[in-house]
Amino acid sequence: MTKKEKELISIPITVNVPYRFAAGKYMTKFLMELKNNGKILAIKCPKCGRVQLPPRVVCAQCHVKNDEWVELSHEGTLVAFTIMYLPLTDPTTGKPHKPPFVYGSVRLDGATSVLDHLVNIEPTMDKVWVGMRCKVVLRPQKDRIGDLSDIRCLEPLPGQKKPRG
Amino acid sequence: MKRNVAIIGGGQTYHAARRHDVNQVEMTNEAIRRALDDAQMRIDEIDAVLVSNMEFFEGTHMTDCWMADGSGAYGKPGIKITTGGTVGATTVCVGAHYVASGLFDNVLCVAFEKQEEGDTGAILSSVAHPLWGRSLAGAAVGYFAMMGSSYMAAWGAKEEHSAMVAVKARQNARKNKYAHLKLDITIEDALNSRMLAWPIRMLDMCPASNGACAMILADEKTAKDRCKKPVWIRAMETAHNEQFELDWRDVKTKRPIFSKVCASRIYKKLGVSDPAKYFDVFEVYEPATWAELVWYEDLGLCKPGEGFKLIEKGMTNIDGPIPVNPSGGVLSTNCIGASAMLRVWEAALQIRGDAGGHQVPKDVNRALTTAYGGTNWAVMTALSKTLD
Repeated sequence: MTKKEKELISIPITVNVPYRFAAGKYMTKFLMELKNNGKILAIKCPKCGRVQLPPRVVCAQCHVKNDEWVELSHEGTLVAFTIMYLPLTDPTTGKPHKPPFVYGSVRLDGATSVLDHLVNIEPTMDKVWVGMRCKVVLRPQKDRIGDLSDIRCLEPLPGQKKPRG
Repeated sequence: MKRNVAIIGGGQTYHAARRHDVNQVEMTNEAIRRALDDAQMRIDEIDAVLVSNMEFFEGTHMTDCWMADGSGAYGKPGIKITTGGTVGATTVCVGAHYVASGLFDNVLCVAFEKQEEGDTGAILSSVAHPLWGRSLAGAAVGYFAMMGSSYMAAWGAKEEHSAMVAVKARQNARKNKYAHLKLDITIEDALNSRMLAWPIRMLDMCPASNGACAMILADEKTAKDRCKKPVWIRAMETAHNEQFELDWRDVKTKRPIFSKVCASRIYKKLGVSDPAKYFDVFEVYEPATWAELVWYEDLGLCKPGEGFKLIEKGMTNIDGPIPVNPSGGVLSTNCIGASAMLRVWEAALQIRGDAGGHQVPKDVNRALTTAYGGTNWAVMTALSKTLD
């Protein structure tokens, strides 16, 4: 069987396809405020009051137009995390993130939604936990380019200890 | 449904990490031939052909077009379906709608994936929004790791509980001749397997499989005329989630997320008040161990936060009172495009009593299957042995 299999060939092919995505009105405003003023803007639904991130035109739950812009705090709480031991490729750069590294979901104060991002912290279990307080670290203003990578990472707020148990 | 619909035949390939001996069409055709044999039908008798897989996983779009020879679709009506991980179940759903509507008396549903031919991680990264969160996309493992960390923090479950799910799946798979990972493992083996993304270890995760599944659906008259053991599709449900939201990892959420909405709607249709008693077997879509525990809760097999106690007590074992994934599930075999159809087909085999080594040791009259995929949506299918 193995021998027979060796007679069959497979052909390696790489597909490299460039795309160009329109950000739309709301995402453009979000990215421009982030780039120019270091602000993180969310959008609030007039009906259910959920403060949604990233900002989108329509509330999926209420089917109404979201029209109230809300500036979020740069601090929030970690609601889920992982320590990644695999060299995951960053699809936006084509380069692997160097393992091990921590990433997680943070709910910024004032937001209903969460933001997934890298957490700049030593990748050990006693340094990271659900409930940890974090802050957002932005690129220095002169280096910002107007996409989500202007948020470089999350960082734990100082003076915290992992709760026991 | 306007007309009753039955599963009158089905088949699957053996599943493996390597299928270098066949190309995509040849591999898929193996399942189709088994389904036709099982239904004792010839391809000429098939009214319509539906083909499904994950978009672009094998580097081609319009796989229905490239596959028309091997799928038997040449000259027949039919469409290609792609709904992510749910696609195999969606295809059964669409096939059932075709038959229930009266458009066709029988439909061949085909699902396949040849994961080894593409880069699953790279293609999955395109599931993420291009401008939001894509830098960390690219593997389901990170998503399920966060689900695990959130589940443990919320309910006090331990890594041992996910290990119990890992062991149950692979021990069940050993009884299933078609399964991919037939591993004779213990809880210690699972806990000592390589850490991929805390708390997910190697044995907490599904494999990348090659394989296919095919099923033939028919109306009541055809089913009763031609099939000794028709399995009836009694209800189907699909529910979407909200893009960008915490969704399945937010295990304490009170919001109506896809899995719970889908379950409550299908239970309402069938008049189910206690699903653990109503259904005799479950086949759920669990790409990672933690997902199975969350399914227990979202399906109402136990209270929120008690899923890990079900596995601890052995309730969901193959010989337990609520058997879940006697086939070994997605944790043992994940040819993604076919995985959700395999849930339905495996449930049908249980109802027919034809599951062989992994047949649950009790009467099976009703079964429920789930599918999960894409940006968090669910498809559920309820099957029964009789029409009452």
